[in-house]
Amino acid sequence: MREKRLIAVMIVCAGVAAALLFSTRPISAQNHEHEKGEPPFPLYNPYPPGILPANLESEIARVLREIDVIEERAIQRWHSLPLPTRLATRPGPNPPVLKDTGTESIETLGELMLFDKNISPGRNQACTSCHMPYAAWSGPIPSVNLTIIAYPGTVHFRAGKRTAQRHTYAPFFPVLQYNQEQGLFFGGNFWDSRATGYRLRDPDAEQAQGPPVDTQEMGFPDTACVAFRLSQAVYKPLFEVLWGKNSLDIKFPQNTEEICETPGGAAVFGGDPEPIKLTPEERTEANTVYDHWGASIDAYEQSTQVSTFTSKFDAMLKGNYTFTPDEQAGYNLFNGKGNCNSCHVDGRGTTLKPGQTDTSTTATANPPVFTCFGSANEGLPLNPRDAFYYQTTPDSFGFIGNPFGFGYRDLGMGTFLRSGFGSGPNPNRTWIQFAPMVDGQFQVATTRNVAMTPPQCPTTEAGTGKPYFQKEFFHNGYIKSLKQLVHFYNTRDTSFAKNVTSGHCPEGTIERVTCWPMKEVPNNLDTTTGMLGLTDTEENQIVAFLETLSDGFTSPYPNSDTFTGACMTCNPATDPNCSPSRQGNGELIPTPPLPPCASAICGVAPVPSPPIP
Amino acid sequence: MNKALLTLSIMILSGSLLAQESPITPRAERIQISEGPEVPLVGGYLTVIRWTVNNPGGLPVHYGVVHYGTDPKNLSQTAKNPIRLNPYHSSTVFRVNLYNLAPKTTFYYTVKSMDSRGKSDGVTSLMKTFTTQ
Ligand code: HEC
Ligand code: HEC
Repeated sequence: MREKRLIAVMIVCAGVAAALLFSTRPISAQNHEHEKGEPPFPLYNPYPPGILPANLESEIARVLREIDVIEERAIQRWHSLPLPTRLATRPGPNPPVLKDTGTESIETLGELMLFDKNISPGRNQACTSCHMPYAAWSGPIPSVNLTIIAYPGTVHFRAGKRTAQRHTYAPFFPVLQYNQEQGLFFGGNFWDSRATGYRLRDPDAEQAQGPPVDTQEMGFPDTACVAFRLSQAVYKPLFEVLWGKNSLDIKFPQNTEEICETPGGAAVFGGDPEPIKLTPEERTEANTVYDHWGASIDAYEQSTQVSTFTSKFDAMLKGNYTFTPDEQAGYNLFNGKGNCNSCHVDGRGTTLKPGQTDTSTTATANPPVFTCFGSANEGLPLNPRDAFYYQTTPDSFGFIGNPFGFGYRDLGMGTFLRSGFGSGPNPNRTWIQFAPMVDGQFQVATTRNVAMTPPQCPTTEAGTGKPYFQKEFFHNGYIKSLKQLVHFYNTRDTSFAKNVTSGHCPEGTIERVTCWPMKEVPNNLDTTTGMLGLTDTEENQIVAFLETLSDGFTSPYPNSDTFTGACMTCNPATDPNCSPSRQGNGELIPTPPLPPCASAICGVAPVPSPPIP
Repeated sequence: MNKALLTLSIMILSGSLLAQESPITPRAERIQISEGPEVPLVGGYLTVIRWTVNNPGGLPVHYGVVHYGTDPKNLSQTAKNPIRLNPYHSSTVFRVNLYNLAPKTTFYYTVKSMDSRGKSDGVTSLMKTFTTQ
């Protein structure tokens, strides 16, 4: 009886949803527009003038063209791949391993998925729209990195709130765990570790299940849309080789295409996370496909196509490269006065006395990934350029990205443990109590590939005489060059620390050079660094060392040749910000007066202690 | 081979470095404050208290803790900041930030440190003092 009523309600809801879908949007007309190359959705622009970069639309299109080039290469790779051997009889009771080319097959499948722009309602966004190989799989659009820092999703211009992390070495992070003995968290993926790996036992595979249904990213309204679009993909046969002959044969209802063409968060869905009405059996099949989606992408990201260990540093470990004096000095500072390897663990004994030899053979057997897999609060100032703060009004689908505006504060892992706004559900209730201890903490990123740029723009740093590729650093992109990054670690807690927000540095100081605005989250601030006493030269030497960590030195980095955009150049004679120290200062804007932290963020128990203003 | 080195090599061989999580750091035989506490920065906004401990060892994260106040008999305020030990360094610098202290005021303070589970490192400084501008 109860069940019947539920079904009836569901049918009514589905009916209403379908009616709304058809009445609010002329779907066929939209498809038609899309074919003409016009944006598939009405533009959403809540941004005051000057916030969005002027070339945003053309840059997104440029990246999509590059994505198609790599997808085409991946298709070639797949076609040239001999089918794995499926043994008819298995000697002994063995698992069903695909012999010989099973590994290459799953990696290639993952690659085909990563560069597939059909995995989004508008067929206008792939994972790699925000993660291109030539930027070490981080943000590919220099003007975005310089300004709004968050990348737009399938709906232009909904956008997220944080910088796109590099894929390289992300698969090496273990399942998120609370180490009882140490009272510390380790592992997980994402800046706030919310891809824990609790279910698939693989944070990177669970990570890949986030973006397709993230309202500000690829934005499907239902995870089953991934199975639906995969069932139409050209590489469907490869998926079936790996994951089973009929694994994509799910009977999708008639209106599935309409649903999957509509961005998540649209009011028509009334908050229903599964608007595609499948039988329980088919829902299970679709969920299984989604797990296989995650596993395949993880296989590729961990493969030697992505995480290659081909940097100068790796060559140095093997004795095939000698550091320049500056690189060597930088390495010594990284491990010494800079204290960087307290967190960015380099896996080697370093303070050797004369006559001692390093017995840690680990270095070459298992090259270090320069992270302790933990988290820390590095005390970044709030970045008022972040696109997130401006998405306070509904888009044409009735979706609001950030109802709190500048009342939003990014508490990182703390908000995740509270299953709070802008993060994901925490699967472990015993962790909630630790939230106040990790407020403001973000994952210790690997320093590998932080400096990687397309070959034609060989540096991240402005004003060196070479064309540069503008990147963005730390979770909120406040830092614009590696020089600034090291200078921040060096001087954050000196007399340069000012009681102001970004854009309001006192007369006579220069933001990011002699003025660091207040920390967005003062709680749990880590003070391993912040007052290092490094000289200007020593800062530069650490930058030189960081630059030795870019893959592609001992062999070309796969697909790093695909950047077709423009490098940046500047003229120090006419542009005062044409230097690594002042890079991006022309784009600083004054932070508006900040409302208090929204109670949906800072008022969720167990509340931050001390309270966050 | 001294004990610390032995522990270090056992750690390396036993693969805790292979996993690359922060290794457990060897503990100095007699833990003591080897420098400071001192006040390298007295600012209207930020005041910094800093001291060096020869090596507290143990868990990767420790907290520097400062008790302070204007009445030497009642250090009513507490501030603390976490740091990560460097497994290869023979000493550890602790630093605690104090914000927006009242101007032209004399403060009294003591410092101590503990690990991330709250276990004291067993060192406390004598009471010291500084005056804001
Ligand atoms: C709209 C831009 C965008 C799209 C599309 C996108 N990402 Fe991301 N990616 C980000 C951002 C931003 C972060 C950091 C988010 C956070 O921590 O909250 C991130 C983080 C990651 C990480 C975490 C790395 C680490 O070290 O923890 C991985 C891996 C990743 N993305 C892979 C993917 C995959 C796979 C897809 C497609 C299924 C994808 N991304 C689609 C922007 C994007
Ligand atoms: C207490 C731990 C800790 C120490 C010590 C530390 N870092 Fe980090 N590092 C982090 C954390 C946490 C992040 C991410 C912070 C964020 O985005 O909010 C990070 C990020 C980075 C990144 C990557 C930024 C990006 O956008 O991908 C680089 C490069 C880096 N640190 C270099 C250094 C250098 C150089 C030093 C020494 C001067 C250093 N770190 C010291 C914890 C640490």
